[in-house]
Amino acid sequence: MDLFVNLLVNGLATGMLIFLLASGLTLIFGLMDVLNFAHGGLFAWGAFASVWFYTATGSFFGAIAGAILTGIILGLITEKLIITPVYGNHIQQILITLGFMLVLTEMLKVVFGPNQLAAATPEWLNGSWVFGDIIIIKYRIFIIAVGIAVFTVIQFILRRTKIGLIVRAGVINKEMVQALGIDIKRLFLFVFIAGAALAALGGALFAPYSGVIYAEMGLEFAILAFIVVVIGGMGSFPGSLLAAILVGLAGSFMAYYVPALSLAVNMLLMAAVLIFRPQGLFTAKG
Amino acid sequence: MKKPMNWSKISLIIAAVLLAAIPFVSDSRTWLILLTQIFIFSILAMSYDVLLGYAGMVSFGHAMFFGIGAYTTAVLLDRFEPTLLVFSLSIAAGMLIAGIISFFVGLLTLRLKDHFFAMLTLALSGLFLVLAEKWRSVTNGNDGFTFSAPDVFRDRAVFYLTVLALLVVVYFALRRFTNSPLGRVLIAVRENEQRTKALGYRTLAYKVIASVVAGVTASLAGSLYVVSLRFVNTSVMAMDVTLDALLMTIIGGVGTLIGPIIGAGIIELAQHYLSDLAGEYPLFERWIIFFGILYILAVIFFPTGIAGFFKSLFSRRRRPEADAPPLEPAKPEVPR
Repeated sequence: MDLFVNLLVNGLATGMLIFLLASGLTLIFGLMDVLNFAHGGLFAWGAFASVWFYTATGSFFGAIAGAILTGIILGLITEKLIITPVYGNHIQQILITLGFMLVLTEMLKVVFGPNQLAAATPEWLNGSWVFGDIIIIKYRIFIIAVGIAVFTVIQFILRRTKIGLIVRAGVINKEMVQALGIDIKRLFLFVFIAGAALAALGGALFAPYSGVIYAEMGLEFAILAFIVVVIGGMGSFPGSLLAAILVGLAGSFMAYYVPALSLAVNMLLMAAVLIFRPQGLFTAKG
Repeated sequence: MKKPMNWSKISLIIAAVLLAAIPFVSDSRTWLILLTQIFIFSILAMSYDVLLGYAGMVSFGHAMFFGIGAYTTAVLLDRFEPTLLVFSLSIAAGMLIAGIISFFVGLLTLRLKDHFFAMLTLALSGLFLVLAEKWRSVTNGNDGFTFSAPDVFRDRAVFYLTVLALLVVVYFALRRFTNSPLGRVLIAVRENEQRTKALGYRTLAYKVIASVVAGVTASLAGSLYVVSLRFVNTSVMAMDVTLDALLMTIIGGVGTLIGPIIGAGIIELAQHYLSDLAGEYPLFERWIIFFGILYILAVIFFPTGIAGFFKSLFSRRRRPEADAPPLEPAKPEVPR
């Protein structure tokens, strides 16, 4: 029982981190047909920025705010310099975002040095709760709580506000939205920056979770996020949450029971979805 | 009709002869090894360009075919005698396996559009990397294993000349392939797949052929690569191999065959010299950054790379339609 709960909590926490990365990716793709291969770079930058700000300010919330700010700035740069010039050309987009990913990863090594950094958990989140023989690490519960909170807030924005309505409409039919006189480029910039901020937040939360951060983790998590985006259906926000939890749980349980297959399972899942149901398990609906 | 003297062909043959003379006039081991490396990566980058430059598809899974060639040759040379015969057979076996796998991978993936194709190839090559890591009885995982190369290759000059000869053969074979009617259909697919379909071509079949040609050629590069190192580990399956091929192709020039060779030369030379500089200026340790930026600029401003830039300089003097005959509609197939 204790093992099951541990694996469950572990899987949910990883799932939430992937969700933070994938939710931005899926909205950006749904809205503008842009698959941002540099998204993992923003995640890694979020992680490094949070460690830097944590040492600088000594406050965990300072670290998270710093990471989100970094994400916003990098998101703005990415959208303006990288995505806009090749807008509409898929092949060029794939090539250029991948190139930018490379630059982001190498820049991390220039700024923070090539070695991996240690990341500390704040005092009040350190330790664990013990219920009988079940031990629950506090920080993992914290990640799950943040993930749920982010999902609720964004879902509220998407469902209840005007801008959310426009985003949802844009995912379904952007030409129509444009024809109705809405500046979809500006909307896209907004969504892109929000997605970048979420990715950076994910990175910031990941840092204390894993304890060490390194530049290459961006690509590793980006692959998981792509898998989630494909399984969840491109452009589907709730789909990305469900798929992220699925991938997180599959990863955590497989890593324990069949370690040899833990990564392969998610890859196979994605390959199967792409081949048999390319629109994803959940499609974007109005 | 007698063809006019082909200028580019002649200059390439002269370049190849000059390169072949190097081991006889210089005895710098470093240079021979560096040039051998450049030739091997030229083959890899050219194979990538068949997909990217001619068929217009971004594959993130090219490393798997490089890795298949690498492991086939390494395992066979290790298990059997390290003779020239086993070496040749292992190259053939690697190419055969890569051909079969790229055929099925192509059938599975090429139905998908750009983004999805890129991701599915990424996932499949990820699976191959996992396979290489976990199948320890054959690959010895991440630690890899060393093996001995055929005795003749102990002389670096012999290996250098072998690789150079193979590069020349691959170049002319791929040139033949891309200039053939089949290659022209691929270019048409790249430019406008719908219209090519409307002309009656089964575009999927053409794309699968391109994927097999690219896979088989990449496998050859992998085989040569491990023999040059006499060592293999999972890094031959890693994403970095695909990234290298991508950088070389984009910077050198997409859609030309000489471009990837130029790109491979520039990147390998720069890697060599910039890592020397890194001792003095630590920034050069991150030499890949310069290429990342160069790559981004190339994608935005010079989508045809260095080779394309020079080509456009030269071809201004010629009539452009001279080297691209219009595509004819496909012959109708009789339905059975």
